[in-house]
Amino acid sequence: MIKTGKKLASLFIFFLFVFSCQKSNAQSVSVQATLTETNIFEGESVQLDIAISGTSLSSLERPEIPTIEGLRYLPNRTISSSNYSYINGKPSLTQTFGFQFIAMSPGSFNVPSIKIKVNNKEYATKPISFKILDPKTIDNGDAERSPDIYVRLEASTKNPVVGEQVVADIVLYFKSEVEVSNYNTVPGWKAEGFWKEELNNPAQARSTSVIINGIRYKRARLLQYALFPTKPGELTLSPYSLSVRVRNNRRTSRDPFNFSFGQENKELKTLPVTLNVERPPGIENAEYIGAVGDFEIKRTIKPTSAYVGESVEIITEIKGTGNVPLLNKPEYEFPESLELYNPQENSAITRDNRKIGGSKVFTDIVIARNDGLYTIPEKRIATYNPSSDKYEYTVLPEITFNAEIDPNATVTTLEDMRLDIDPVTGLANWEQKSVIPLKNRKSVFVLMAVPFLLFIGAFGYKTYYDKLTNDSGFARSTKAREMAFSILEEAKKTEDIKESYHKIQKALSRFIADKLNLPIAGISAQRLLEEVKDKKLNSSALADLKRIFEKCETVAYAPNISKEDMETDIQKSRELIKELGKVL
Amino acid sequence: MKVLVLLTSFLFITLTAQSQSSPQVRFDTANDLLEEGKYREALKQYRQIEDSGSSSGPLFLNMGIASVQIDSLGLAKYYFLKAEHFESVKNSAEKALEFVNSQFSRQSAKLPKLPWDKAVDIFKNTPGTFGLFLIGYISLCIALIVIVLDWFNLISLAKRNTIAISLLAITVIMVSLAYYVDYVDQRYDEAVLISEESEVRQNPKESSELVSMAYEGYDLTLDRKKSEEFSGWYYIRLGNGQFGWIKSKGIEIL
Repeated sequence: MIKTGKKLASLFIFFLFVFSCQKSNAQSVSVQATLTETNIFEGESVQLDIAISGTSLSSLERPEIPTIEGLRYLPNRTISSSNYSYINGKPSLTQTFGFQFIAMSPGSFNVPSIKIKVNNKEYATKPISFKILDPKTIDNGDAERSPDIYVRLEASTKNPVVGEQVVADIVLYFKSEVEVSNYNTVPGWKAEGFWKEELNNPAQARSTSVIINGIRYKRARLLQYALFPTKPGELTLSPYSLSVRVRNNRRTSRDPFNFSFGQENKELKTLPVTLNVERPPGIENAEYIGAVGDFEIKRTIKPTSAYVGESVEIITEIKGTGNVPLLNKPEYEFPESLELYNPQENSAITRDNRKIGGSKVFTDIVIARNDGLYTIPEKRIATYNPSSDKYEYTVLPEITFNAEIDPNATVTTLEDMRLDIDPVTGLANWEQKSVIPLKNRKSVFVLMAVPFLLFIGAFGYKTYYDKLTNDSGFARSTKAREMAFSILEEAKKTEDIKESYHKIQKALSRFIADKLNLPIAGISAQRLLEEVKDKKLNSSALADLKRIFEKCETVAYAPNISKEDMETDIQKSRELIKELGKVL
Repeated sequence: MKVLVLLTSFLFITLTAQSQSSPQVRFDTANDLLEEGKYREALKQYRQIEDSGSSSGPLFLNMGIASVQIDSLGLAKYYFLKAEHFESVKNSAEKALEFVNSQFSRQSAKLPKLPWDKAVDIFKNTPGTFGLFLIGYISLCIALIVIVLDWFNLISLAKRNTIAISLLAITVIMVSLAYYVDYVDQRYDEAVLISEESEVRQNPKESSELVSMAYEGYDLTLDRKKSEEFSGWYYIRLGNGQFGWIKSKGIEIL
């Protein structure tokens, strides 16, 4: 048995000595009772802590423990501790008494209010309810199957509205035989469809005890995030990953003496969590700037009087708790004669008490281009408060400012704005407008036609020339007339009539032979006549040809042929050649 | 005697009429009005010269100056842009344009021209469509002469076919280019908005969706072919590359 009475008495004297010099008016005392477990199995021990805090504890009596139904007090196991600290520059002392109990019988019970006398004043703790569970209800199979450690993402609400803050806690659950030495978050968690802000997280997580499906787990909230849904519908929070270093104190059959020390790294992942995000109800006669939370809106102008050309700021400040980062700028109706510049935006965010808050300031910058009184009409702004589930309206009163012309301002004279170019007053070069599209210019087509025509002509001549050179028949046919006329001309000049008629015959025969590409020598007049007949020469010409051929053959025997007759026949031959030229 | 009087009268009337219709005389008259500060009347006179088909750099420069004086900056920009094409007043016109552009309260963003469009502009100005055509034409003539001379063995070239084909290829390229540049020149026009503002819409209808607002002095590129389909509307491209339909009123085509 441990004797504690003397120790406690000396401790009281020490405290009385230390704090007797404190001013009595600075005294501020709080008393709090806590149970280490509120769900206790029958036969388990539990500790009731009573903490007395204050800047000065000049007299303090040990609390008297009342009878607590369901628990049996273990008087020899009472402990006491004290802690001295500075809070906001002031000393603070906390004296804690710990009383041990054993759970006796299953049921729901209460720790009654406990009265404590501090500094000659009586204080009382709040009652605490607790449950004592029957160990027989635990299914050993369930206990075996349940995981030793796991992590959960716990959302503060499953049905938020767009813009409402949802607190997502990353909570670690582990059995009492598991020791967690540290943890690391795996980066890259994305909360798609949400604006995410990390809340103030404690440097070291505290664990509490919970019973899940009859099994005692330790519960430690590692991290907490404030999430703001940005759109309605079903939005799913993807799994959050953690890496934890754990040691299992349970002895296994393989390692009955726990020599391996059981240190291991575990990768844990939360299950995805789906939230059903609703749209805030519709509003009328107000502008909704997307604010969800508890906000105050204020609009000011700076300065209220300005010179023309000077900038004036219309400042809208929105303060409170809620989706500060997602607030939109209210739209104001500015007079048309004001020149508007890009608005500015500043925000400050706080993360206290698991709530995102702070302020957002929108600054509209306007410049009056003319003097006068300018009025910006009043504006009704709506913010949605999810706790009351209704809109709250703020009316921003109308603001005015006066713009005056600065008497000291440098006046921009007309001279400064003058176009410094003199007109041309002398002689000018005049041009006539003649913008004719290329496709409408006839000269273009004429120009294009000329080389092509000349080229075609040259090609034709080349072809003709080549044929004349290479085709003897063609050459004879082409030159037949010229040759015949030449012979006739010779016939005309010849004095001897017989010789002349010989030449006439030669001219006609040569012409027909050349035209029909017949041999020149050894061809009879009869053959020539037959050839011509086949070419459908008209009958009178054929008769004339026949007559001249006969005359030419018989001229040697004809005594009375005059020169005139001969010339007539030459002329007739010319005509015949022309006639023959048409059909041959 | 009577005949002499009649002849003299006829000559006098003819000469007077000729002198009155001379653009220089009208120009001098208009300049006098400009110097007297009668800007609107001066502009009216200048316009008559322009309508008669005569044009000159000083005419457009003075028209721009008169427009500035009557505070019609869009119109002034239009005339200064026209004056810019004349070498004699190019520098003054550029300076005036700089001034006018600085006076517009709203400035339009302007996308740089594509290299091909720049090339078309260069060809349009120097040597011009007819110049391009002439280059092609001369090339064609030389090619045909080479071929013909060769036919009749009047010349002897080692790479006759290569020369002829190259010249014909140059002809095809230059003539095609001339017609393309001519097509672009005829289809697209540069224009300036001279009214204070005008709406640019998706379709040539008042009820059509608004694409943008155009303000005085904005440079526009007008599609003449598309615009012919709807009377009173022009299909345009704004300086920032947006397309749309704008009412033809208040637009001056360069």
